[in-house]
Amino acid sequence: HQVLRVLPQNDEELQKVQELQELEHLQLDFWLAPRGLGLPVDIRVPFPSLQAVKAHLEAAGVSYSIMIEDVQALLDEERMEMLRSSRQLPLNTNTFNYEAYHTIDEIYNFMDMLVAENPNLVSKLEIGRSTENRPLYVLKFSTGGTKRPAVWIDTGIHSREWVTQASGVWFAKKIVEDHANNEGVASILETMDIFLEIVTNPDGFAYTQSTNRLWRKTRSKYSGNLCVGVDPNRNWDAGFGEAGASSSSCSETYHGPYANSEPEVKSIVDFVQSHGNIKAFVSIHSYSQLLLYPYGYTYTAVPDQQELHEVSAKAVAALSSLYGTQYKYGSIITTIYRASGGTIDWTYNQGIKYSFTFELRDTGRYGFLLPASQIVPTAEETWLALKVIMEHARDNMY
Amino acid sequence: AMELPPSHFPAARAAAVAMGYLRYLRGGPGRGLQLRELRSARRQDIDDVGHKYYLELELEDVLDKDRTVNCTAEVLYPLGSQSSAPDVQLTVQGELRSTEEADKEFYTRIRSLEKELVAENIPDSHGNIPPELEPIHLLAWAASGYVIWQNSTENTKFHLAQVKHVKQVKRSDEDLQFDYVVLLHEMVSQEVLPWQVTLLWHPQRGARVSQCQGPAPGD
Repeated sequence: HQVLRVLPQNDEELQKVQELQELEHLQLDFWLAPRGLGLPVDIRVPFPSLQAVKAHLEAAGVSYSIMIEDVQALLDEERMEMLRSSRQLPLNTNTFNYEAYHTIDEIYNFMDMLVAENPNLVSKLEIGRSTENRPLYVLKFSTGGTKRPAVWIDTGIHSREWVTQASGVWFAKKIVEDHANNEGVASILETMDIFLEIVTNPDGFAYTQSTNRLWRKTRSKYSGNLCVGVDPNRNWDAGFGEAGASSSSCSETYHGPYANSEPEVKSIVDFVQSHGNIKAFVSIHSYSQLLLYPYGYTYTAVPDQQELHEVSAKAVAALSSLYGTQYKYGSIITTIYRASGGTIDWTYNQGIKYSFTFELRDTGRYGFLLPASQIVPTAEETWLALKVIMEHARDNMY
Repeated sequence: AMELPPSHFPAARAAAVAMGYLRYLRGGPGRGLQLRELRSARRQDIDDVGHKYYLELELEDVLDKDRTVNCTAEVLYPLGSQSSAPDVQLTVQGELRSTEEADKEFYTRIRSLEKELVAENIPDSHGNIPPELEPIHLLAWAASGYVIWQNSTENTKFHLAQVKHVKQVKRSDEDLQFDYVVLLHEMVSQEVLPWQVTLLWHPQRGARVSQCQGPAPGD
């Protein structure tokens, strides 16, 4: 195969290049997608498609250069590994491999097994459908009552942050185990429910497995937009569209045409509002090793700043106690960057005082591509921090 | 100069620039320097010049995590211009672990390859790096350290996301040459952008970037 670099100089040329994206049978891999005039487009072209692609470009007078010459195709190690691990289908959640990354189907299968094994504790709710019509599932852990005060945890809202979905799977199993052994969160479950959305952005997740491992956004398409996808963590109705998000569809922080345009976001908004009794909301990301509280869209401190700062300190200390992993904490805007339309800014403004975001391991050595061997240690330490937050919510009911 | 909280982003971004520069200067196939902790930071605004950060860093080598080394760094972001690289001065206190053996071994191994080394996707989607490619990954860290140092501003924070492609190019002189396509993740914009970097390396002479091409025209 070869890697070609194309520099579209006018709209006709840009369109020709975009046309290539639609031709799925060519199996093209866009290392740098079309973003606009004068901006390079890098395309990895498998050998059988070379002639067709070059002909397509040459016929339209689009010039290109060969960035990488013919290179022997290498074994796709990761696809092989996915095949290997999926061949041994786990029969129950005890034989499920928590130390590996899984496909959507494997995770959805895991959820069904968990419910089947624990019907009195766990149920699966469908809170909506994604742009590509994938179900949005939330696991509910409850020992009874009617609309008890609840904790919400979501993972995988940014699809490339794979350690988060993997940790979500581990959390689900951990909740069930604690309950069975009457330890850990069993006491929390006496008075509170836990909601866990593991694959919060399934379209993006599927795309990271089929096409682009580093895809972040949803996969929505809006007419008139050059590029696909909206950043689901800029699409909430809190400072929507203000500084800290992009209005360009090609940007990784594109806020979308309007707040809650993304079904992945709207479904959670609807759920939270109709439930009405969520007391703690935690949205999990990677990487950077940070525990963050609102706001991201404004420098104004939240009224509960001091309490949230103290809870964060305690949660981070608990996390570090296990493997020595160092975390920093603070408000979003002072600790990482200004970000508008973010999840926990909205949930906080809805009155959910204990609104937190985690950025899990690591600090950049592997980044999004965290080795699978670190999934369980990451989940274990993060769980200790989550328990601090949940216990604090339970003991400080409002 | 005013004291900066190490947990706030301005200090963290300046530290990332210092680390990029340090990896370029002292990185190699047997050494990967990482920030263990940012101990303190100060900032000074110099009229007509720029913003200068004074940092105290605690470093570790990813291949030798049991020990740490202290480092002081000064990072000066020049005023206004987006085309001028930050100026970095750093002092490493004490000795870094010697990599002479590992460097020699790597050099000999690569020089004696019949076919030029080619590899893709390091790490792969699952975070795996085959052991024989770990030195290639560390050299990519050195190469991207150069790019990060040259292209950082107070509004960016870069990390190496993945080595998309690497190809060894045999040379008639004694240097090893690796043509990399590295994907850099920029934290503020969240963009992942490819950079082509040609890195030369020699056990005694260390790493040098001979060519560098980014995604924007004129990079």
